[in-house]
Amino acid sequence: MFQNFRLSMAWLHTWFGLVLGFVLMVVFFFGALSVFDREIDRWAIPESRFAPQPMPSFDQMLLPVFQDIKPLPESIEQAKSRVNGPMADTFTPRRYGAYTTHRDPVLSVFVGFDLPNAKDPEDGVFGVRTIDPRTGRALSDDHLKIGSQFFYPLHYSLNWHWLNLGTWIVGFAALIMLVALVSGVVMHRKIFRELFTFRPKKHTQRSALDLHNLTGVVALPFHFIFAFSGLVIFGGTYFPITHTQLEPLHELHEKHEAEETGLPHDRAGVPGTLASVDAMVAEAQRRWAAKGMAGEVGFLAVQHVGDANAYVSVYRAGTDRVTLTGEGIHFKGATGQVLREDPPFTAVASINNFLTGLHLQHFRHWTLRWLYFMGGLAGCVCIATGFIFFVEKRKRQHAKQGASGARWVDAFAVSTVTGMLIAALSMLIANRLLPIDLPRRGDWEQYIFWGAWLLAFAHGIWRTAPVAQARMAPAWAEQCWAVAGLAVAAVLLNGVTTGDHLLRTVSSGYWPIAGADLVMLAATALAVMAARRLRQRAQGHALPRGTGASGTTGAVRA
Amino acid sequence: MASGSLSRLHVVSRIAAGTLGGYAFTWGFMAVSMALLFAVGMPFHDAEALSTMLGFLLFLSVFCWAFAAGNLARVWAVLAVGGALMAATASLLQRTLV
Repeated sequence: MFQNFRLSMAWLHTWFGLVLGFVLMVVFFFGALSVFDREIDRWAIPESRFAPQPMPSFDQMLLPVFQDIKPLPESIEQAKSRVNGPMADTFTPRRYGAYTTHRDPVLSVFVGFDLPNAKDPEDGVFGVRTIDPRTGRALSDDHLKIGSQFFYPLHYSLNWHWLNLGTWIVGFAALIMLVALVSGVVMHRKIFRELFTFRPKKHTQRSALDLHNLTGVVALPFHFIFAFSGLVIFGGTYFPITHTQLEPLHELHEKHEAEETGLPHDRAGVPGTLASVDAMVAEAQRRWAAKGMAGEVGFLAVQHVGDANAYVSVYRAGTDRVTLTGEGIHFKGATGQVLREDPPFTAVASINNFLTGLHLQHFRHWTLRWLYFMGGLAGCVCIATGFIFFVEKRKRQHAKQGASGARWVDAFAVSTVTGMLIAALSMLIANRLLPIDLPRRGDWEQYIFWGAWLLAFAHGIWRTAPVAQARMAPAWAEQCWAVAGLAVAAVLLNGVTTGDHLLRTVSSGYWPIAGADLVMLAATALAVMAARRLRQRAQGHALPRGTGASGTTGAVRA
Repeated sequence: MASGSLSRLHVVSRIAAGTLGGYAFTWGFMAVSMALLFAVGMPFHDAEALSTMLGFLLFLSVFCWAFAAGNLARVWAVLAVGGALMAATASLLQRTLV
């Protein structure tokens, strides 16, 4: 198909990078926001703005909460097709779980229930609740955790759950990210020089390419590791081999494992009691302390609830290392006797957990967290400048031929890059403006997110028409102004509706909210700068060279 | 694109080879690698994790190869036949183990 290897790699880079670039843009941006998902949750749910709390007492507080939780109506609804005959009225709890991190003031608790008459005996339904761990009081379910329940899943599933399609599209995009990195390196042999090359004063096509190469090369290991570890984390979804073809082997292993670990795989069918879980937690913490490890509990679970085979697993919050770790200790539910302490990782597990931990970031290290955020944004700049280079390289030729390809790519690019920011900011504004007791408030916030994005898209298509005549698209500058306005509005609304304005949050050192507001103000400044630069370029448009559209915008804004 | 003489069908076939053929080949590799590593004594989840990590790197390589290789028929043959052979070997191995 091609004369040589480099040409084939260039073709791959251009076309697959272009098509999947729109997905990758969303993945990188919302992935970068997910670095601060808990902080965005605080911004969106003002009643949760207090200091992170340790895991509360199980015996005093969590047990009554677990016993009170019922399966979610949605969970029962979804299970209707998975049972033989009618749906049961009552459900027996089978598994309790409570999860927190060093950045969570509120605690998420989870109960798994039996599903009577299920086609698959392992199947179940579930209930969840978010509580204030200081009092045990439940938080309203209608309040969407915008960071951890919307932006975070958006970055790996596009929040499109039908047939898991969103997750598959993101997976393919991640593979293409790896392909784009490999083919990009093959295309450009002077890779070291590109680390130091950025000529912002040259025409847009040149400076966009400089910035594309610079951000791609500087953060090359970051981009590669994140795309790769993302694929590995979802490896079982993309290649469900051990749940299909090799299922028998998997089952064989699970039986061996249950024998080896002494943790019962199944219920005994005989009712059982539960000893003090607080005493088990204290014993687990004693054992971690003896190993010199940070001893806060991250995940606490009771398996086979109410059965003689019940056991309790206590996992550490791995805040002191990058690798995904838990040093789980498992206790017999009835007696509190230690059944098993997880052994140290094998070599393969160490590599796998390091990659996973690197991606999921359970560590407590704010500098590293900001580096991640910047790495994600560098990815956005790289992709956005890729679009701009594509458009700049072709728009004159397309204009001559009467083709509209460059124009459509520019329309999609502006709608993705700035449109995505408009959508996210509109959602935050809606979060501050919608009545606090509005039923299904979280759903409304999501409709506004998608609605705003759709509007930005329509605007993007309309206001990129001049590209078809090889001129600049006004859409970029206009959407930059929109971003600037929305970001300021979000910050002001937060101050007005909650009283947590920047003067107060900065002076009291409440960084989750101050940080979110400051990032939005920084976005405003960049958007205004970009819009003004674009105007200057548009005014200088009469010059034969130095025409250019959106080079810096996409880059700076991304 | 290298030349205007490229038929649309050829491009579609190459893209299908890279994605679907690559997927089948990777599936076969991961399956046989998991079964083999488990058979020689590696813990199950280690075999699973190692095969998955190597598998994605392999997918990346064969995807690029599907576009770089001269002979598209050979690409299809290697990916489809190779994938099927490896998957079949994995099932045979499993039968001896379970």
